[in-house]
Amino acid sequence: MESMVKNAAGRVDTRRAILSRWLDPDETTLAVLLLAPAAILLGVMIVYPVGRLIYTSFLDLSLTSGLPARFAGLANYQQMLDDPVFWQATWNTILITLITVPGALLVGLGLALLANLPFQMRWPVRLSLLIPWALPLAFAGLIFAWFFHSEYGVVNDVLGRIGLPGVIWFNSPRLAFAAICLAIIWKASSFMAMIILAGLQTIPRSLYEAADVDGAGRVRQFFEITLPLLKPTIVVALIFRTITSLQTFDIPYMMTGGGPGTSTATLAMYIHQNTVSFLDLGYGSALAVVMFGLSMCVTALYLRMIRGSERAS
Amino acid sequence: MSSGCVSRMAGLLLGFGAFAFATDASAETTLKMFVTSQGQPGIWRKVLDQYEARNPGVKVAIELGGATSDLQAQYLNTVLTAKDSSLDVLMLDVIRPAQFAAAGWTSPIASANMSSYLRAYAEANTVDGKVVALPAFADSMFLYYRKDLLDKYGLKPPATWDELATAAKKIADGEQNPGLQGLSFQGKAIEGAVCTFLVPYWSQGKAVVKDGKLDFDREAATKSLALWKSFADSGVAKKNIAEVATDDTRKEFQAGNVVFAVNWAYAWAMTQGADSAVVGKVGVARLPAVTGGEQATCLGGWEWGVSAFSKNQEEAKKLVEFLSSPEVSKFMAINGSLLPSYPNLYKDADVTKAVPWFADAQPIVETAKPRPVTPRYNEVSEAIRTTVNAVLAGVTTPADGAAQIEARLKRILR
Repeated sequence: MESMVKNAAGRVDTRRAILSRWLDPDETTLAVLLLAPAAILLGVMIVYPVGRLIYTSFLDLSLTSGLPARFAGLANYQQMLDDPVFWQATWNTILITLITVPGALLVGLGLALLANLPFQMRWPVRLSLLIPWALPLAFAGLIFAWFFHSEYGVVNDVLGRIGLPGVIWFNSPRLAFAAICLAIIWKASSFMAMIILAGLQTIPRSLYEAADVDGAGRVRQFFEITLPLLKPTIVVALIFRTITSLQTFDIPYMMTGGGPGTSTATLAMYIHQNTVSFLDLGYGSALAVVMFGLSMCVTALYLRMIRGSERAS
Repeated sequence: MSSGCVSRMAGLLLGFGAFAFATDASAETTLKMFVTSQGQPGIWRKVLDQYEARNPGVKVAIELGGATSDLQAQYLNTVLTAKDSSLDVLMLDVIRPAQFAAAGWTSPIASANMSSYLRAYAEANTVDGKVVALPAFADSMFLYYRKDLLDKYGLKPPATWDELATAAKKIADGEQNPGLQGLSFQGKAIEGAVCTFLVPYWSQGKAVVKDGKLDFDREAATKSLALWKSFADSGVAKKNIAEVATDDTRKEFQAGNVVFAVNWAYAWAMTQGADSAVVGKVGVARLPAVTGGEQATCLGGWEWGVSAFSKNQEEAKKLVEFLSSPEVSKFMAINGSLLPSYPNLYKDADVTKAVPWFADAQPIVETAKPRPVTPRYNEVSEAIRTTVNAVLAGVTTPADGAAQIEARLKRILR
């Protein structure tokens, strides 16, 4: 009887202890509690899918075969090495990144500088900067597909009017590729311009006034004040842009569908084709792992750049 | 807000409540039917209206998707891999029933009797002795030609592709119209381009798959690709033929800009429609052969399948049986110029009155060849159509293209 009372009291005590621990947790518990939601979210939304992707890439898993998944080791990666379309798609993806990221940066920088000029009617300029960015990618792709259509397109129409022969843009891998890059630069430069414009507005005007007093010209001011102070903004914009351009899908998909042949296919398109059209999830996952690796490399490179510049300053 | 407004809104809410209750009480089934947007949904709607009138309690809604066969398949791939139950009845290209059955996406239709259909469709819809879909309509590729122009120059419908090129040149020289194309066919990397490649390949007496094994003839393939490329190079077909999809061919022929066109039966109704420039000037014939070969064509047609994930299996099967009945087949032949899947309808007086050339079409459909049957058909199709596109764009030579197709098919069909 006595022990029962004691036990009950003990239970109450532990209950109280638990309660007080929840109400007034020590620092470690608090840290764990506060971090848990983020950790769980990251685990469910990122770590699990990526882990599952890597796991699937080692499987022979094709939904059309009707066979259950089978462990295949590196077979999918082996297949990739011998697959000319994979190499072509990867090379196209890298080339698109190398061309459109600097291209969009230059055009975007120019647009941002223009939009930042002190004139009265700023809103039409800023609105027109926003529109290409606000347009869905597939839309932009479709618009440019019509622009460059050999018979109905406005580009050939303009060429015709100034006396030049029309070109069948999508019949030639190079011209088709150039048209795609142009569309991507058009679409991406407005994003670049918006971010750079935000960066421009954080540069104190007093710096330019001081430079004026010191007799520095416009060009010198640009290279000595604007560009160095914009560098962090530009790096951030470049990171975003490079990663999205490694994932380029919509614009070439709508413009050429990867054609002529497979000459303008990108890695993302090839992944989509293997998973969605061919239902070859094993090979598709292996391709996606490669793309994941590429993105990680680029991100690491940029992070190192940022850290380097932080240390320098 | 005034009290009058509030009471009016309350009345509305009550009204909605009563309405919801009423529909619930009559236990109405709504079936969702997936139709490709190129599949004349407006005419199928009329068929469904009849079905709804005869079957109170059943409503059928059409869901449109995918302008081309491959886009449609891509959409269905996504829906069906997710085991989505929102679609009940699926309209499937003839190449898909085998594939969908292998993936377990369609329910077998046990009650069906396939013996009354054209043999090719009974075969295409039967997998391992089970009926997996029922024919919607038959189809094959035909040569559409401008009867008026051929008569003007004293020409007959060509029996070989060489004759076609000669005839096209003669008409082009006579007409002196730079907007008039000799021949239109499908060079874009779409499903139709697979048939583009196969027609002259088969015409040389070759097969792609024999007894379930790859039996590819590279020389015949090179010749087929070279034939199409020669049409583009010699100006018989237009230079941007690599941009042309099936419905582009139909539109340009309908606008009067094409002498010869390779197309399916559906194009007929539109060339004879209100906004056609060629009403009464169109003839339809068998596709030509390569010189010294036999005339061959590609088997088309679409089927009705019941989704394995549908929650209304019995109602869906009933609807599919109706859609595949002789009655509907005849209605669609007359109103949509879709070839009947029943042999006895080809000579039917009402049908031939609407579409006179159907009277001669039966032997053509009956000898049309099916594309390779394999669960990995999407990959086979992709290998062929992107190569056709690359050759026509001048990126790849016919010989290299044939070698690429062979290499890729070897990997897929190993």
